[in-house]
Amino acid sequence: MKHIKFLLSSIAVIFLLISCEKDLPNYLSYENYVFSSADEDGGSWQTTLINSGDEIIIPAPADISSAEYQQELSNLKQEVSNLSDSEEKAIEYWTDNPTIRWNEIALELIAKYNIIPGPNADGTYTLPNPNNPSGPPAFPFAHPPYAVRALAYLSVAQFDGLISAWHYKYTYNRPAPFKQDDEIKYAYSDNNIPSYPSDGAVLASVSRKILTAMFPLEAEYLEAKEAEHLRSLLLSGGYVESDIEAGKIIGNEIATEALERASTDGMKKAQTPKAVSDSIADAAYERFGWKWVNKEIPQRPVGLTPLYSQVRMWNVPNVELTRPIPPPSLDSQAYIDDVKILKDYADNITTERRRIANFWQDGLGTYTPPGHWNEFANRFIVKYKLNPLRSARTFAYLNMAMMDGGISCWDAKYYYHYPRPIQTIEGFKTIAGTPNFPSYTSGHSVFSAAGAEVLAYIFPQEATLVRGWAKEAAISRVYGGIHWTFDAYIGTEQGIDVAQYTIDVAQVDGAD
Amino acid sequence: MINKMHKLKYLFCTLFVVPIMCTHLSAQTPSDAIMMNAEQACILLEYNYGSFDQYWEGSYLRENQTIATVRRNTVMSMMAVGILDKLNFFIGVPYIKTESSDPNGGKFAGASGFQDLSLALKYQIINKEKEKGTFSALATVGFSTPVSNYLPDYMPYSLGLGAPELSYRAIAQYQWKNGLYLRGAGAFLWRGYARAEREYYYNNGSYYTSLMDVPNAVTFEGVLGLWAFKNALQLEFSYMSSNSTSGDDIRSYNAPQPTNNIDSDRLGLFAHFYVPSVKGLGIVAYHNRVVNGRNAAKINTTGVGLTYYFNYRKKQDKNETY
Repeated sequence: MKHIKFLLSSIAVIFLLISCEKDLPNYLSYENYVFSSADEDGGSWQTTLINSGDEIIIPAPADISSAEYQQELSNLKQEVSNLSDSEEKAIEYWTDNPTIRWNEIALELIAKYNIIPGPNADGTYTLPNPNNPSGPPAFPFAHPPYAVRALAYLSVAQFDGLISAWHYKYTYNRPAPFKQDDEIKYAYSDNNIPSYPSDGAVLASVSRKILTAMFPLEAEYLEAKEAEHLRSLLLSGGYVESDIEAGKIIGNEIATEALERASTDGMKKAQTPKAVSDSIADAAYERFGWKWVNKEIPQRPVGLTPLYSQVRMWNVPNVELTRPIPPPSLDSQAYIDDVKILKDYADNITTERRRIANFWQDGLGTYTPPGHWNEFANRFIVKYKLNPLRSARTFAYLNMAMMDGGISCWDAKYYYHYPRPIQTIEGFKTIAGTPNFPSYTSGHSVFSAAGAEVLAYIFPQEATLVRGWAKEAAISRVYGGIHWTFDAYIGTEQGIDVAQYTIDVAQVDGAD
Repeated sequence: MINKMHKLKYLFCTLFVVPIMCTHLSAQTPSDAIMMNAEQACILLEYNYGSFDQYWEGSYLRENQTIATVRRNTVMSMMAVGILDKLNFFIGVPYIKTESSDPNGGKFAGASGFQDLSLALKYQIINKEKEKGTFSALATVGFSTPVSNYLPDYMPYSLGLGAPELSYRAIAQYQWKNGLYLRGAGAFLWRGYARAEREYYYNNGSYYTSLMDVPNAVTFEGVLGLWAFKNALQLEFSYMSSNSTSGDDIRSYNAPQPTNNIDSDRLGLFAHFYVPSVKGLGIVAYHNRVVNGRNAAKINTTGVGLTYYFNYRKKQDKNETY
C-alpha cells in the first residue's frame, strides 16, 4: 500500500506545480523606442479647437544658465538619486509616449461605465443624470455614442495641446536636463526633442480634465493618475519642474476649449423624452410603413439617443450629406432573402461565425467598437514608433471620423427607424445582445469602416488588414443575429464615406 | 459485519452535483465515503433539471426578464471502477442544454453540448471499526477539462466555466451501527483559465487578453445520512458551501462572466434505492436548492438516475479483510 500513497502524493505535488501563478496583461506592454520622427515643424500643424499652436500663451522659459534653472536642475538631481520602487514602476509604466496610457485609461473608464440601466421594481427605467452622477444609475452610461464622443474630445484636445507644445519646444529649444548633467540619467530613449514645455505634462493635464468631465465619479482616480504621471515625468530625467508647469498650462487651457465645445455640441439633448421619441417613430411609420420597437421586458420607453444625429459633427458639414439609401421594404424580395440568411445563420452556428460574432461584439461592459479601434491604433502606434504628437494625431482623426460616423449612423437609424430581426422574424433567437436602437445601419459597420479608413490613411502598410477587419466587424453583427446584411454592407459604405471628410482635413494639416 | 460492509460497498457509487450560476462544479467528483472492491464497477446514467428565475448580483438577489427563467437540462453518464479495494477511479461527462423560458426580453439562443470530462481517484486512508461504529477517512484528487468548444463567456447559458480544474478533497465519516452516519468533506478547487472569444474584458480593470482567470474555490460539505430497510435505501440530507477565493462581482444588470467571485450555500436531499429483485440495479433521486449566494444562481435542481453495479473481473486474492 505504501507505493500507492507515494503515487497519490506525487500526483498531488504535480498538480500543485501546474497550479501556477496567473498573470494577465492590463495594458499594452512595449519596449522603449526611438521615435520614427521628431516632427520639428509640428508646432505649425493645423489645430482643431484653437486657431493655431501659438494661440495658447506660456511664459518664456528661464535660460539654462540662469540661477533659477540651475536650482531646478540641482533639485532634480536630488530627486532622481533616490527612486522608490513604485516610482520606478511608474516611470516604466508611463513610458515616453503616454498618449497610449491615457487612451487606455479612457478605454477602461468606458468599459467600467458601459452598463445599461436596468428596470426599477415598478417596471420603469431611470436614466443616468449628470447632475446626480452617483445615481443609481451612475452617470454616464458609456454606450458607443457616448464613448466615441469622449474619445474624440480627449484625442482632439490632446492633439491641439501637443501642437501647441511642439510650437514652444522648437521656439525655445530648451535642452532636456539629462543633456546638461551627466548625473541625470534619462529613463527613456533620447529623441532629441526640446523639453520646454513637457509634452507628457500637457497630456496628463488635458486628459485628466477631459476624462473627469466625461466620467465625473472618477475625479479622484484621475487626479491620482495625473499626479503619478507628472511625478514620473520629473523623475524620468527628461524635464525640470518649469517644463512640467508649462505643459500643465497648455493642457488645462486646451481642455477648457474642448469642454466648452462639448457643452454646446447637442449631446445633452440626444436622449429625448418619450413624446419626442414617439413622434420620431411615427414619422418613420408615416414615411415607410414600419417602425422599430424595443422588445425588452419591461419595454424601454425610449431608444438610445434618438437625437445623436443632431450632435455637432467634426468634419462633415451636414449629416444628411452622408445619409444612406433607404433599406428594403418589409415586403420586398431583398428583405425576404435576408430573413432566409439570418435564419440559416441562427440554425447553423459554425465555430468561425460564432468566433467572429464574439470577437467584434464589444457589447455592454466593454470598451465598445470605437474602443476596439483605439486599441488597434495603440498597437500600430507602437509598431510604427510614433512620437506622442503623431500618436495624438492618429487618435484625433480616428475618433473624429468615428464620432462623425456614429452621428451619421444614428441619423440613418432614427430617420429610417428600421426593425431589428427579433422584431420581425417570429421566434428568432440571437447569440449577441440586441441593442436598444433601430437596425439600419449597423453602428459597428459605420464605426469600423470609418476607423479603418483613417488607420489605412495613417498606416498605409496596414490598409488591407484594417479594411478586412472592418468588413468582418460589419458581418459579425449579422452572424450575431442582430442585424440585416444590408445594415452591414450599407453601413460599411457609409463609414467609408463619412471618414473621407476627416481624411480630407488630415491631408492638409501640415503633417504629411 | 463483513457481509454488511460488503453490501454497502456493493450498493453504492455516487454522484455529486453543484450547480452554480450555469456550471457544474466538480460535477462528478465522488465525495462520499464508500469504496468499491477491486473487482467492482458501477455505471450511472442520470438526468437532472435545474432552473432559476433569480440570482445574486453581488449580494443582491434579483430577477431579470432579459433571461426570464433559465433552464438547464443535463444528462450525465459516469463510471466508477474499483482498482484496488482502497483505490477507486471515476470518469464522467455530462451533456447539457440550456435555454430561457418564453417570453423573455433578451431573445438569446441557449447552448447545448458536452461539458467537462471529469477524472478522479479516491483513496481510503483510514477505515477503523470502533465499538459503536466505523470511522473512515478518504482523499480524492480529481481533474476536469472541457471536452467541447462550448463558450464559457456566454453566461448564463454557457455550459460550464470552461477552465481546467484540479480538485483536492478530504472526506471523513463516522457511521453508527444503527446505520446513521455523519460525513464532512472539504475541498480545494484550483481552476485555470477560461478562453473567451474576445480580446478585451473588464474585471475591475482592463484585461487585454482572451484568457479569463476563473477563481479557485473552497467547498465544504456536511451530510447526515441513514441506511434503512436493511441497507436497501440510503437517505441523505446535506449542506454544501462553495466559496471562490477571488474574483469580481456581476455588475449591475450585466451578464455574469467566468471571472466572477461565486459563493453559494446549498441544501440537498438524496436517496438511493437498491432494487432487491434486480441484482446490481439502483435508483437515485435527489433535489438540491441553493439558498444563499453571491454572484450565483438561486437554482433548484432535481435529478433521477439509474446505477448498475457489476464485477468487471474475477475476485482478487485478498491480503486484507474488513
